[in-house]
Amino acid sequence: MNALALNSISKSFNGFTAVDKLSLEVPEGSIYGFIGPNGSGKTTTIRMIMNIFYPDSGEIEIFGEQRHRSHSDQIGYLPEERGLYKKMKVRELLQFYGELKTGRSVISEIDPWLKKMDLTDWASQKVDALSKGMSQKVQFISTVISKPKLIILDEPFSGLDPVNTNTLLSSMLELQKNGATIIFSTHDMATAEKVCDYIFMIHKGKKVLDGTLDEIQNTYGTDTLRIRCKNKATGLETITGVENVHNFGQTQELRITSGVDHQKILREVMASNTLLSFEMIKPSLHDIFVRIAESKEVTSV
Amino acid sequence: MYKVFRLALREYLAAVKTKGFIIGLVMLPIFMSGSMIAMALLKDQVDIRERYIVVVDETGQFRDVLQEQTAYRNSNHIFDPEDSSQVQPVYRIEFVDADTSAIITQLGVLSDRVRKGEIHAFLHIGSSLIHPLENPENAFVNYHGESAALDDVRDWLRDPINNHLRRLRLQDAGIDETQIPDLFHWSWVTAKGLLTVDEEGNILDAGASNEIRAIIVPLVMMMLMFMMSMMGAMPQLSAVMEEKTQRIVEVILGSITPFQFMLGKILGGLAVALTSTLVYLGGGIAFLQWRGFESYIPYDSLPWFTVNLIILLFMLGALMTSLGSVANDAKDAQSLSFPAMFPMMIPMFIMVPVLKEPLSSFATIISLIPPFTPMVMTLRLASPVTIPSWQPWAGLVGVLVFTLFVVWGGARIFRAAILMQGVPLKFSNIMRWMTKG
Repeated sequence: MNALALNSISKSFNGFTAVDKLSLEVPEGSIYGFIGPNGSGKTTTIRMIMNIFYPDSGEIEIFGEQRHRSHSDQIGYLPEERGLYKKMKVRELLQFYGELKTGRSVISEIDPWLKKMDLTDWASQKVDALSKGMSQKVQFISTVISKPKLIILDEPFSGLDPVNTNTLLSSMLELQKNGATIIFSTHDMATAEKVCDYIFMIHKGKKVLDGTLDEIQNTYGTDTLRIRCKNKATGLETITGVENVHNFGQTQELRITSGVDHQKILREVMASNTLLSFEMIKPSLHDIFVRIAESKEVTSV
Repeated sequence: MYKVFRLALREYLAAVKTKGFIIGLVMLPIFMSGSMIAMALLKDQVDIRERYIVVVDETGQFRDVLQEQTAYRNSNHIFDPEDSSQVQPVYRIEFVDADTSAIITQLGVLSDRVRKGEIHAFLHIGSSLIHPLENPENAFVNYHGESAALDDVRDWLRDPINNHLRRLRLQDAGIDETQIPDLFHWSWVTAKGLLTVDEEGNILDAGASNEIRAIIVPLVMMMLMFMMSMMGAMPQLSAVMEEKTQRIVEVILGSITPFQFMLGKILGGLAVALTSTLVYLGGGIAFLQWRGFESYIPYDSLPWFTVNLIILLFMLGALMTSLGSVANDAKDAQSLSFPAMFPMMIPMFIMVPVLKEPLSSFATIISLIPPFTPMVMTLRLASPVTIPSWQPWAGLVGVLVFTLFVVWGGARIFRAAILMQGVPLKFSNIMRWMTKG
């Protein structure tokens, strides 16, 4: 069963179409990554899923049922902008958010989560005494403490250091293992590649990517030549058939125009450089993201 | 409803658990009644320095009587009867001959003496005071001082001068004042209530109409409503604005609907205000009972007071939360708080005429205009007059309908505006959100 299904939903604000006939199916128990440039419609989509905004048209289904107010109790939501009552103590705050969501006491669940997030010593402190990373973790606990079946995390890793990012990631994987479905939006493509079962990209309100990483990469084919040259590689941009060059210092990635002979490109590289190694690779998610975001045309999938 | 009450509980605890609430609970009535308390505390703090008064008497008739009355006062009325300590200043009076050819110059010189602190004030009695009809322009008694209007000496001079005037006029008419011993016995017009009939049909004499009951009780009730509105409803505006700008509201709206959010906040504020009311009313009633003033407690007005207070807080709470959702920052909140206070401020402005004439057309009409009904109707009901029994009920229906409208409109504005950031604060935007949601 799908945990979430969006059926051609649209939302406009004062004539501007933020989300345009968007359809999506999120299988239960999966981790689904939402990616997209700033202002592409991710947050609006999430707010519609959360019933904070109503779609102008289209339907939303949660666990096979038409979206209803009571579904909010099954959805944990971490918004992009963190919102915590600064004058409340951490424990009181978690208790409040948990009870507001579930309608029952969540006291017994607070301490294990605080321990897991290494926040036990801060339980009696007011929120405004916490660092940004700690506040983020408190916000995350407040999202999941009600044991929601569907968890929506809008930019959960922004501002977190690598250690805290890993803590959060392992918690997410544990929640998935326990049956939760997780949707999260991110600008960190490497994390999305590593963690997500499915990836969905929205651009200018339209769905432009949807599927597993392999499926997405396969649609682009093996169109990238990664090379490593002795000294600094030169003259790569001028080679006919090379659309784009990403220079990473020690290595360079050349995007090859479809249909162009790779051998011919290699020969031209070697003509002006001493080639140490080369390989044909699929484009990274980061590369695909940039290609779509920089493209003036938006093609729905 | 559990979620609404859970949110209301948080709001309530967040307010009452602070030191600010406890301090406010104590300080607010002190500030509100500060001048009365200051007057009571400072009533014995009298400046007892001698008051030196110069009298320019163009009639030449008041020297003896004023000297005599001053001496009598200085001997009998300036000492504490218990410990004989001086509690009032000594008055000294010096008469100077009037220079009628250059009276202005003479008064100017005396004014300079007042300014230099040589004398406290001077009294100028016109030449026609005894028979004003002969020359009304010179029939005056002028008291000149740096603070003449509030000067106790001026008040004290009134009786000796007027009594002596009458005495002089009787003498001129050839009447012997000793034949009229109660000549100077003045009578006060006593305020009395209406006569009543008891259960056995006996007509009972009216009791004296009590000024405290007539003025202070309605005033206190009105002030209490005002204070509770300030404590329970007004803070909602900035609280919602802060929750909006700090993005807390999006987290909350992930769990409850905007209407539930708004309702929870209103109920929380209502609970805060009712807690304070309970403290003030309970404390006030206990105090009055302890001091033997139980008759001043308006038990009959309390039910209407409570109903009107709850409705007022609900109405203002809806207004404040919806306006808070429109505000983008503290400046917006400040701009909105002024018009939002109209339902509280207008009744305060018209309090005196309503209290003087609770049955007038003006008082009746304005008490039936919904935003003002809770406070003005309470004021009228607490006054000694009997308000037609249909009026509180008509007011209640009107204000209930209006409150429902405010809650409905406020909820629509709240829902539309609460997640909007940076949208300019315009009346047209507010109206659009209310009408189109």
